Amino acid sequence: MNYGRELLKGNTDSLLLYLISREPTYGYQIVKELEKRSNGYFQFKEGTLYPALHRLERDNLITGKWQILPNGQQRRYYYITTKGQQVLARRLATWQDFSTAVKSVIQAETT
Amino acid sequence: MLSNISHYLNRFKASLQIDQTIRDGVAEELYTHLEEKTQELEKKGLSKEEASKIAVQSLGSPELIAQQIYETHAQGSWKEALFSALPHLLVALLFTSYYWQNIIYASLIVVLTVGIAIYGWQRGKPVWLFPWLGYYLMPVVITGILLLSLPRSWGWIAALIYIPLALFVFIHIVRQTARRDWLYASLMLAPILVTFSWFSSLGTGNEFLMDSMWWASLQANALWIVISFIALAGATIAFIRLKPRRYKIISLLIPPLVISFSAIATSRGSIHPWGWLILLFSLFAFATPVWMQARAQG
Repeated sequence: MNYGRELLKGNTDSLLLYLISREPTYGYQIVKELEKRSNGYFQFKEGTLYPALHRLERDNLITGKWQILPNGQQRRYYYITTKGQQVLARRLATWQDFSTAVKSVIQAETT
Repeated sequence: MLSNISHYLNRFKASLQIDQTIRDGVAEELYTHLEEKTQELEKKGLSKEEASKIAVQSLGSPELIAQQIYETHAQGSWKEALFSALPHLLVALLFTSYYWQNIIYASLIVVLTVGIAIYGWQRGKPVWLFPWLGYYLMPVVITGILLLSLPRSWGWIAALIYIPLALFVFIHIVRQTARRDWLYASLMLAPILVTFSWFSSLGTGNEFLMDSMWWASLQANALWIVISFIALAGATIAFIRLKPRRYKIISLLIPPLVISFSAIATSRGSIHPWGWLILLFSLFAFATPVWMQARAQG
């Protein structure tokens, strides 16, 4: 199994929560934003995003609302909930601790 | 000819056996995604046909998305699982404490069951509703059987009026439930199968509830009846909590069938023809939704 893909799979929820916490957003914009911010590193089958969004919504971390645009088109925008913000804050702290620890181990080895 | 997008969404919808509102909502989300991607690719100079083909490919397998969406929504919470199992446990309690002999306790449970079933039906049919609905349907069927036990001419007159009406209500509720998900119809009918298996296997009297041997047999088998309903409660909890559909089918089919065949075995073949008729009716009603589900997938 591809290690990068496994890492992405394990952190998809946190990445989605983070993007949604910045501003209410919708599926297609999330895909583009992930690709842009990661300089094309995060590429995946776009359809897998929707089960992840619905999982987050089921766990009350985000909430989805349909909005009608001026051109009549409908989009489902996702908003982060208070519970989602708390979970995201904990995950980011854990990730930063983990990332610092990994860097420390690697730097100690290479210096 | 269907466009790439329509074909993709049809495949997605056909693979997702879930509440229609959720299915249509996700399909609409996928549609807006595909439309937006197609328009963007068209702006880059691709033809509509090429653009929609690439958009569809980048979403990935519709069957895989449907499976993942199903697994997200199919697993009920522990609260839902316990509430779904509660009517089976209440019936087990009736038999554990011989409360079924007390008209007040028995009536209270009937009123509670009917009330909760109506409440759930009006509140958008949540998954916990269906076992309660099974018990709600039980008096409808039992009344028909009791009417047949009336003196011959009266019985037939009552049955000719009542049975078509009862069948209409029964079929209407089963169809409405199956429209949501075939498996929910079997979940709803499981207590009917188990109840009527015991009902039929306990005696050979011509008039079921009037026969004293039948009541004595019911008392003698009370412990096994309690175990049956506790097993049904366990199967219901497993059904609600399990994610993969095939495990749900196994948990739904095996316990009620084992219980009903065990109940029939205790009768040692001395079942009244009416008993066989009721048994076959409940077995047919219970198994048909799962068979329809298999046919739809096959």
